[in-house]
Amino acid sequence: MTTRTPTSITTRLTTTTAASMLLWMSRTVLGLLVVYPLLAALQASGMLNGPEGESVLFRPGSVLLLELLRVGAPALTVAAKLSLLLLAGALVMELVPLALALDLLWVQGDSFGARVARSLGFFGRFLKLGGVALLTQAALLLASSLLSGALKAALGKGDERWLGLAQNGVMLLGLLGCVYFGAVLDMARAAVVQRDLTAKDGLYRALSCLRARPLAVFFGMYPSLAGSALAYLAALWFTARLDLSGASHLALAWAFGANQAAALFAIAWRVRWLGRALELSAEG
Amino acid sequence: MRRVSRDLLAGLGLSLLCGLVVRALWLGTLPAPVPPPTLAALSAGGPTQTPFPVPAASAARVASYDIVAKLDPKTHRVSARETIHFVNRSSVALRELWFHLYLNAFKNDRTLFLRSPFGAGRSGDKAREYGFVDVKKLSVVGGDGRDLWADRDRHSPDDPDDETDLRVPLPIALEPQATLELELEFEDQLPEIVERTGFAGSFHFLGQWFPKLARLEPNGEFSHFAFHAQSEFYADFGNYDVSLELPDAFRVGASGALVSETHDHGQQHLRYRVENVHDFAWTAWDAFQTRSEVIAGTRVTVLYPPHQQRNAEAELSSVRFALPHFNRLYGPYPYPTLTLVHPPDAAENAGGMEYPTLITTGGPWYSTFGGGHFIDVVTTHELGHQWFYGLLASNEHAAPFLDEGFNSYAEAESLEAQYGAGSVYRGLGLSVSSTALNRLFSAARGADETVGQGAADFASFRNLGALVYSRTAVILATLSGVYGRERVNHALGVYARKFRFEHPTANDFLGVMQAELGDDAQRQLALALFTRGSVDYLVRDISNAPVHSSAGVFDSPSGREHKKPDPPQGTAAYASRVVVYRHGSLEFPVAIQLRFEDGSEQRRNWDGHGATFKVDSTSPSKLVSVYVDPDERILLDDDRSNNWVTTQSPSSPRNLERGLHFAQVLLGALGP
Repeated sequence: MTTRTPTSITTRLTTTTAASMLLWMSRTVLGLLVVYPLLAALQASGMLNGPEGESVLFRPGSVLLLELLRVGAPALTVAAKLSLLLLAGALVMELVPLALALDLLWVQGDSFGARVARSLGFFGRFLKLGGVALLTQAALLLASSLLSGALKAALGKGDERWLGLAQNGVMLLGLLGCVYFGAVLDMARAAVVQRDLTAKDGLYRALSCLRARPLAVFFGMYPSLAGSALAYLAALWFTARLDLSGASHLALAWAFGANQAAALFAIAWRVRWLGRALELSAEG
Repeated sequence: MRRVSRDLLAGLGLSLLCGLVVRALWLGTLPAPVPPPTLAALSAGGPTQTPFPVPAASAARVASYDIVAKLDPKTHRVSARETIHFVNRSSVALRELWFHLYLNAFKNDRTLFLRSPFGAGRSGDKAREYGFVDVKKLSVVGGDGRDLWADRDRHSPDDPDDETDLRVPLPIALEPQATLELELEFEDQLPEIVERTGFAGSFHFLGQWFPKLARLEPNGEFSHFAFHAQSEFYADFGNYDVSLELPDAFRVGASGALVSETHDHGQQHLRYRVENVHDFAWTAWDAFQTRSEVIAGTRVTVLYPPHQQRNAEAELSSVRFALPHFNRLYGPYPYPTLTLVHPPDAAENAGGMEYPTLITTGGPWYSTFGGGHFIDVVTTHELGHQWFYGLLASNEHAAPFLDEGFNSYAEAESLEAQYGAGSVYRGLGLSVSSTALNRLFSAARGADETVGQGAADFASFRNLGALVYSRTAVILATLSGVYGRERVNHALGVYARKFRFEHPTANDFLGVMQAELGDDAQRQLALALFTRGSVDYLVRDISNAPVHSSAGVFDSPSGREHKKPDPPQGTAAYASRVVVYRHGSLEFPVAIQLRFEDGSEQRRNWDGHGATFKVDSTSPSKLVSVYVDPDERILLDDDRSNNWVTTQSPSSPRNLERGLHFAQVLLGALGP
């Protein structure tokens, strides 16, 4: 395997764009797959069969949106369960484009077929790493949840606001721990792609990187997280100001554009971090 | 290290921008509320509006109370002396009195209130520490000092485990219009808050805390009933003069106005007076913060937990809108004070309740963040009770829809006047109105039981909630859609003024509605309230046929002629038919919208009588879709998903867009 990072700015820009587009496309396709059962249930509910189509659901006051939830609840519940199952599957499937994106960022001048073959080869190791991460993150969340509950029991008679903030603070710390471990997971994946390591060795390498440069790992991911959050929040702010209650296709086009731009922007930040993870891993 | 600093700075900059967007999303740069469209009435029929009657200035006082009480916040006990000034305003001589001792509802787990294994009351919570009221002595002032309490019944009628509804025989008959003064000594042990009443830490709320006479009906019978978990109250009007003693550290809120305040030896002595009311409640907590201002001539005071200034401001803001609004609709609020109590989180079951001139709100400290109007909802609802309960003191046990139902309509009407279609929630491109929520609950359980039945007769509190609160509001909202919002509001205004300081019944209400809106409205109301009346409009198939000139073989004096059909043309090229059906017993006029292939539209009105209505039309193009009640006026319509039919295949690009975006966000947040 060729192991060298793209050095020129043009190459770097091209590979970053290609990786971002790849992840965006895979996420869009998988997103469509996840949401399909819900859309089918909506169609079957009969609520969209009127002369105004789906726009009745977006009328001010939401009389018909709530009616949809009431009348279509059984079908929507089944569809939501199916969507959750598909979501789990999509999360696993996304490992392949992720491996491909890392490969694109690290390996220069190889054919697409060879990249895909390599990425499929990483799938099993990525899956194992994902399992380890899931267990660790679940343990972190459980611990913070227990601590939050204990805080409530200990300070139950105190000031409500401070108690609420303290509990949320503890949960936030747990989430932060999960995110930090996510960064370690990305480092491990980078190591696996760079050196064709086993999942275990990749994880060890990531942990040794973490020991050596904890701040670089932590703050390396920080802009990616903040950038993604900003993208989605800005899209939310923008679309909340659009009047989607009518039948205007223009408003819909704006909403679609804003949301997809946000998704792409967030993915670009993630790709930036993946590039950084590869560098950190290479530097040891 | 330089790279780490760069990453850190970039992250901080982006986080700052995130904070600004979050602030813009949450803190008030949302679009201005859109007021609901003013719909012209579908049916212009019915009588003309009568002017508002002049409301009564005061009530006929039957039972007035002077109470001197002392709270020990450590033991949560209240020791009190009570004098009742009673007038027999019935037409017959009385030989007994009925007392409600509702604090005994929390005495043990065998009481009517607590005995259900499925949890008790609106909160569904069982008691953790029990409470009760002990009457030490009852005697006639100026009498022989005999303790009448010794002769009382030991338990509620037909219920040996309950002591909330007790009969006390009178030694001599009390003639009509005669007065009687009674003196009681009693002691309360407060429960840990089960439902409204009790303590949580040092917070105390005292509702239904004193021995109180049941309501005396004009025929000489007392409307007495044991305290049922689904029921509320019913009592006579009177004046209350209540003196309270408790430690200085506590802040107190109470019905009525504070008329005197003294302090000695670390104790405070507070005296409250209020006239023309039928209950008295108070609260005390050493952590209360207070705010006060005059709104529409009324001194409004909010008592709230520390660090909840935002909630207090939201509550005052609600009152600033709703108090003048209700004054205009239902007649002026006649009392000089109004107290709002926001209980702490630990006493949330004390929240969301009404007493004369005192209401409790509630909600966690972060209630005002985001786009929800939850503080406004509870504040406006409880404020509305000052009319539909306080001034119109109907029997909440026998006909709860008269207060909770009408008040739910008043609450939704006021919130929608204030916030438009987003009266419950507005944010993230979505608005939810109170009426939409009421419709949701009403439609879910609308056919389960009759709206107009006693509180204890409902199969569950969920049913009571859906039918008494939501369905009654939806019935009135449907009348608004059909007869016009202004007319229905005016009719409610007439009812509220005409029966102020009285105890109106369902028949009183129906009489006013008949006079104001006509016989048909009164008939539909009665069907909807008392017979599980329902309605569902639906439409099925669309038929289109080309209109040809005459074709075939025609004989005439000039001979036989063979005519061929001309292709359809002109303004009557197609004949279309659609049949609209009405299920259920309610009959409301309804609009039907027809849309044709060329984009043109027609509207037809059906008076709602009969089971079917054929809509025939001719047009240059085919009829492609039909929508029954496109303006959402008939909110009682059981199922709105069958109100339309179209020959065109539906598409849902918005749902696809939103669904895809949501899935992308989820994959991004949870993904590898």
